[in-house]
Amino acid sequence: MHIPDGFLSNKMWLALDALSGASILYAARRLRLEASARIVPLMGVLSAFVFAAQLLNFPVLGGTSGHLVGGALLAILLGPLAGFLTMATVLIAQALFLQDGGLAALGANIFNIGAVTSFSGYGLFRLLAGSPPRERRLAWAGFVSGWASLVLSAVCCALELGLSRAIPLEVGLPAMAGYHAIIGFAEGGLTAGVLVFLVRVRPDLIKGTSDLRMGLADWAVALGFVALPVLVLILAGSSALPDPLERLLSSAGAMTEPRNDAGDLLSPDRYPEYLRAAAILVVGTALVYLVARLVQGRSRKS
Amino acid sequence: MRHNFLDRYAGLDSPLHALEARTKLVGFLALILGVLWIPAGSNLIFFAYFLLTAVLMGISQIPLGYIVGRTLAILPFVVLAGLAAPWGDHFEGVRLVAIVLRSILSLLFLILLTSTTAFAELLRGLRKLGCPKILVLNLGFLYRYLFVLTEEVLRMRQARDCRRVGRAPALAEFKLLGAMLGTLLVRSFERAERMYQAMLSRGYDGDLRILAPRKFTWLDLGFLAGVTLFIVGVRP
Repeated sequence: MHIPDGFLSNKMWLALDALSGASILYAARRLRLEASARIVPLMGVLSAFVFAAQLLNFPVLGGTSGHLVGGALLAILLGPLAGFLTMATVLIAQALFLQDGGLAALGANIFNIGAVTSFSGYGLFRLLAGSPPRERRLAWAGFVSGWASLVLSAVCCALELGLSRAIPLEVGLPAMAGYHAIIGFAEGGLTAGVLVFLVRVRPDLIKGTSDLRMGLADWAVALGFVALPVLVLILAGSSALPDPLERLLSSAGAMTEPRNDAGDLLSPDRYPEYLRAAAILVVGTALVYLVARLVQGRSRKS
Repeated sequence: MRHNFLDRYAGLDSPLHALEARTKLVGFLALILGVLWIPAGSNLIFFAYFLLTAVLMGISQIPLGYIVGRTLAILPFVVLAGLAAPWGDHFEGVRLVAIVLRSILSLLFLILLTSTTAFAELLRGLRKLGCPKILVLNLGFLYRYLFVLTEEVLRMRQARDCRRVGRAPALAEFKLLGAMLGTLLVRSFERAERMYQAMLSRGYDGDLRILAPRKFTWLDLGFLAGVTLFIVGVRP
C-alpha cells in the first residue's frame, strides 16, 4: 500500500504533500503547546513499537502475510494528534530505511496510512465505545475502528491512483478495497485484542490519554480530512468520473501527457523498435555503470 | 541480530558518502522532481537519467545486487497497473511505460540517497533543513529503540514457539497475538517512562543538540552545481 514515486500525477502528490506537511506542522505545534514533554519519548518508543510489531505477521490468503498497521490503535491510545504524528514518523522512517514508498509520494502515504487511519479510527472509536467502555463493547469498537480505518485508507489510495490515471478506478478500487476488507479483519481483531488485554492489565493506559482529547478546532480539521476524500468519492460516482472533475484534475497534469499519442502503439510491427530501445537502454546503462565503478575503485586503491 | 542492517552501506568510502547530508537530500530530491516531470515518450531524457543513475551507482560502490533487489519493491504496483490498464477509459502504452520508468528512476535515486548516508546524519540534515523538532526527535528515538524492541519481539516469538505445537484456531490465535502485542505495548510504555526519567535526570530541556556535523565543502558545491546543470541541461 506504500505508493512509490511516479504513480501519482504531479498535481496529486503536490497537493497531498502540502496537506500532510501542514497537518504535521499543525499537530507538532498543538502537541508542543498542550502536552507535557512526557509525550516525546512515548511517541518515539511507540513508533519503534509499530516497526517491531510488524514483525509479528500472520498468514493471509494465498501465501501473502499481513501485519498490524496500527494507526487506529495508536490514535485510540495516544489521541489522534499524537497518534498521527507517530504514524507519520513510522512512514518517514519506512521511506528512508527501507525505501518503502517514494520520497515525493511520502505526503500521499502519510495521508493514507497515517492521517486517514488515525483520524477515522479515533472518531469511530469515540462514537462506538461508551465511557467508561465495558469490555465487550470496547472490543467491538476497537474491531470496527481498526477494520474501517484500513478499508478507508485503501479506498483513498485507490482513488488517488485512479485520479492520477495510473491504475483505473474500475479495477483499482474494488481490488484494493476488497483485499483490505479481508486484511482488515486482522487489523480489527488485533486492535480489539490489544485493547482488551490493556483493559485487563493496565486500564490506566486507556484512561490516561484523556488529557490529549481533541478540541472543537481539531475536530474541524479532522472532519476536513475525512470529508475531503468522501466528497471526491461522491463527486466521482461509484464507477466512472464525470467530465468536469476529470478535466479539472488532468488539466494541471497536462504537461506530463504525451503530446500526440495517435497510432497503434501496440501493433506487432513496432516490437523491434521497442526491443532496440530497451537493449540500448540496458547496455548503455550497464557500460556506464561498469566504467564508473572501475574508475572509482581504481582511484580508491591508489 | 545484526544491528547495522539499516546502515549497511553507509560506512563505505566514496565521494557520494563524503557529501554532507543536506546536500544529498536537496540534490536527490531535485533529481526525483526532475524525473517526475519527464514527459511520456521522451526517450532521450529517460536515457540521460538512466546514464546518470549508472554513473552515481558506480561511484557509490554499493553492490549492484542490493540495488536491484530493492528496486523490485515496486513490482506489485507495476503488475497491478499493467493488469488493470486495459480497463481504463484511455489505454496508452506510452503513458504506462513512462510511469514505470519514472518510478524506477526515482526509486534508484532514493536508494542512492539513503544507502550512502548514515541515519544519524540524515536526521541532522532534515533538522537543519527545517523539519519540525518533534518529528526529528521521534525519528531518533525510533532508530535507537527499533533494535531493542525488535529483539523483544523475537524473544517473545521464541517463547511462544517453545510452549506450543502447531497453530491454534483463528480466534485463539488472534487473542494470543493481541496479548503479545499488548505485552509489547505495556513494556514500551514502561520503557518510555524510564527513558523520560533518565532524560530528565541528564538535563533534558526539550532541545536537540547535535555534535559537529560534516562540513559543507567544495565537493558539495560541485555536486549541487552538477545536479543543477544536469536538470537544466536535459529538461524537455
